[in-house]
Amino acid sequence: MADDIFSVPVFLVVFRESLEAVIVVSILLAFLKQTLDGPNGDKTAYKKLVRQVWLGTALGLLICLIIGGALIGVFYTIGVNKWELSENNYEGAFCLIASVIITFVGAALLRIGKMQEKWRVKLAASLETPLSMTGPAGRWSAVKRFFEKYAMFGLPFVTVLREGIEAIVFVAGVSFQAPAKSVPLPVVVGLLVGLAVGYMLYRGGSSTRLQIFLVVSTCLLYLVAAGLFSRAVWAFEAQRWSTTIGGDAAEIGNGPGSYDIDNSVWHVNCCSPELNGGGGWGFFKAILGWTNSATYGSVISYNVYWIFVILGFLALRYREVKGHWPLMATPEPQEVVLTTEDAGVKGLQK
Amino acid sequence: MASTRALWILAFVTLFATTSLTNAATITYDFDISWVTANPDGLANRPTIGINGQWPIPRIEADVGDRIIVNVVNSLGNQSTSLHFHGLFMNGSTHMDGPSQTTQCPIPPGGRFTYNFTIEQPGTYWYHSHTHGQYPDGLRGPLIVRDPENPFKEMYDEELVLTVSDWYHDQMPGLLSFFMSKANPTGAEPVPNSALLNETQDLKIAVQAGKTYLFRMINIGAFAGQYVWFEGHNMTILEVDGVYTQPAVASMIYLSAAQRCSFLITAKENSSTNFPIVASMDTDLFDKLPDDLNWNVTGWLEYDSKAPYPTPKVLDQPFEPFDDMKLASWDTQALLGEPDQVVTLNVIMDNLGDGANYAFFNNITYTSPKVPTLYTALTAGELASEAAVYGEYTHSFVLERGQVVELVVNNLDSGKHPFHLHGHNFQAVWRSEEEAGTFGDSNVTSEEFTKIPMRRDTIVLFPEGNIVLRFKADNPGVWLFHCHIEWHVQSGLMATFVEAPLDLQKTLQIPDDHYAACKASGIPTEGNAAANTVNLLDLSGQNTPPGPLPTGFTTRGIVALVFSCISGILGVAVVAWYGFADVGDDKSSPVSVSRVAAKGVYEQPAASLGEDSVSAPGVGNVGADRDEISAVGGGSGKPVSA
Repeated sequence: MADDIFSVPVFLVVFRESLEAVIVVSILLAFLKQTLDGPNGDKTAYKKLVRQVWLGTALGLLICLIIGGALIGVFYTIGVNKWELSENNYEGAFCLIASVIITFVGAALLRIGKMQEKWRVKLAASLETPLSMTGPAGRWSAVKRFFEKYAMFGLPFVTVLREGIEAIVFVAGVSFQAPAKSVPLPVVVGLLVGLAVGYMLYRGGSSTRLQIFLVVSTCLLYLVAAGLFSRAVWAFEAQRWSTTIGGDAAEIGNGPGSYDIDNSVWHVNCCSPELNGGGGWGFFKAILGWTNSATYGSVISYNVYWIFVILGFLALRYREVKGHWPLMATPEPQEVVLTTEDAGVKGLQK
Repeated sequence: MASTRALWILAFVTLFATTSLTNAATITYDFDISWVTANPDGLANRPTIGINGQWPIPRIEADVGDRIIVNVVNSLGNQSTSLHFHGLFMNGSTHMDGPSQTTQCPIPPGGRFTYNFTIEQPGTYWYHSHTHGQYPDGLRGPLIVRDPENPFKEMYDEELVLTVSDWYHDQMPGLLSFFMSKANPTGAEPVPNSALLNETQDLKIAVQAGKTYLFRMINIGAFAGQYVWFEGHNMTILEVDGVYTQPAVASMIYLSAAQRCSFLITAKENSSTNFPIVASMDTDLFDKLPDDLNWNVTGWLEYDSKAPYPTPKVLDQPFEPFDDMKLASWDTQALLGEPDQVVTLNVIMDNLGDGANYAFFNNITYTSPKVPTLYTALTAGELASEAAVYGEYTHSFVLERGQVVELVVNNLDSGKHPFHLHGHNFQAVWRSEEEAGTFGDSNVTSEEFTKIPMRRDTIVLFPEGNIVLRFKADNPGVWLFHCHIEWHVQSGLMATFVEAPLDLQKTLQIPDDHYAACKASGIPTEGNAAANTVNLLDLSGQNTPPGPLPTGFTTRGIVALVFSCISGILGVAVVAWYGFADVGDDKSSPVSVSRVAAKGVYEQPAASLGEDSVSAPGVGNVGADRDEISAVGGGSGKPVSA
């Protein structure tokens, strides 16, 4: 399973976005079930609203697919050549973006319960808000009324659309410097795994196994992110070097001149993840950030990334245990007394 | 400019004409080498190295047997220099040959230096700086030796000297530091900006109908070989590199950097037009062709200054220059016998530890010794016969007097290389086609060598081909063998022949001004290549090229890799630790919501949303947070009205 048929970042992003969408949809469905499907519920309204949820989801998905198709079409008709001159800069930027996304997504995955909570709070808030508004008349109020009426359509629609477009933009970004054939498989697998995990969450399935799965996959995610971060720095340096030697360093291949000797930490004339599809080394590159030509920048950034991640998690954990960030004063316990709706909503929405 | 130069030369010629006719004359030149501004292609003014305030620099002219004295003053101010008289044997005067750190120390700014030698060879030569890749900045000019016994003198009416060259708008020091840098890992040679004829363009050479002219043509360029043809006229080759040949008719010749060729051009009996002379730089040598480069230069045989000067016709076929290997020497000197010593040199380009691209003979890239090689030969006593004392990186071969030497050069590189041997003409006994591989692999035997070979001092070796040269070690001295592409001189495509060093010790006296040049620059004049005078076989401290590129992991790389692995493992461990941590007592929620306050306000708290079906109990102990979620529902969630 080399890099050229299975792009790990694509998989992770699709997985994450589909998981989030599934969570939203599942929360809404559960919510409707609880409120309306009871013995004293309104069966008609329930069915109508469930249909809205599914309709919103489906429509969101459809628009995503259209946008995705269009985007891919644009990418492959305009052609990658347009970016070739500063190819490394693009690669660097996308690696950096991917690394940042994964870094923050990863932390959220480890507290997937919190993700559910967040959505519950958000959904609750957005379901609540329209009611508390006494909107002015005019066009806006018409829009608002529409969304009030079709909240159960709008929420999944917007969520799926947003997550979907996020995924597409990212996948497009990754795929345009990776071979096209490396995209479909991770997209499909990511979707399926996202749906599966979402469903497990919904069903409350085997939780320990799910936790192990999440922790292992998140560890993998961070390995990938560290590699991507290092590779971003590497790519920026490679672009600079390519400019220095007045051409494309990749044309020189693997040997002398393909790298800046004064900036090189190691360079082995083998094991290149770039040439000839990279083979097994391409896989190492995707998972572990391996390069056969490491620079000071790439090595230092790799280590700095891990230091940042380690400190970040220590701080997160510290906050969970102590209730405040390290090195900061203990905050006054913030007791929000929910005597009115407004206080409650504002407090939760921050 | 040409007219002033002509006058200047005329002054010398007339001065010594009378003496030279009767017996050997002594011709003295006072050369004050300094910067002038020149713009020969009309595209850019640039500082150029001139002599006595003039550029192009004066032509040196003499008769066979004359003594030449050149008194040099280096007024450049910022560069040292030296003069090499290209093609002259310098028999008995190897110390006048000119290459810095080989037969002399460079003449420092403000220094004075006298070259003093006699000329025994007739023909077409040139002189140029042999220091730090300097001559392309302008210090290059013709050196013509007339021959009272010229076998062809009845065949022509007049002699003309015609130089062809390439021209850069930038000065060599800057170009060289880019060329020899990590930013140029492929060793791409800077591409010239223009081609020149007689150091100018649109040259007009007045000819008279029916007359025959001897053109002495010299490529004084730094890099580009040139295809040369005269529209409507054939050339009859009579001499190459100072060696008379059997006359041979050609329609086009190829002159590499440093090669010379004399040929007859007979003017048409009547012509209503002028005829273009075209020199076209060999663009195969260039790694890239800049859009604004005109690699041709045009001149005209001017029959009538009122007639049109047509633009040259575009050739409709590939260049087919005369193959100089077909030439035979006029004196019919036979192929030298089986060699006493065979030297095989493989031409290789590769990168060294500083990232720059170097040129190698076998595994050695030439690096100047601390002591000029000639001075080592003179001060090493009996050990002067040991190649080791000259240092590893001068790539020295010691030749015994009278030996027949065979030089096999295999081109493992994909470029053309014009190789030049100082102090000798060699017999060019074999030259392969392109991509023929090494001579050793080619199964060619000496039976196939040319029986009456052409002799010259500079020959083109084809890409991935091979050449076999023979010469007799009859000229004691220290002689370089190198590619005459000036870029490759700098990147180290050079070897040294130390010929009969013990004879040199007996006969040679180095003038004081030569030693003074060394002293002024702090260059030692005794000992081996490392300036070691006690143990001459101890070369510790010799000048060395950069080391090879590291081929794999160095200590630095291993340390970096280990550290990265440790950070990775540690990081994953922390992530896992966090992932498995019990979040039951999560206090990080910014708001702790009191359920109490909400209690009772809502009849049906949306708490059920969190409680029963949605949350995944146990996952990250979400259940522990459930209270808050319930509170959220309670606090904010009014039952939704459909």
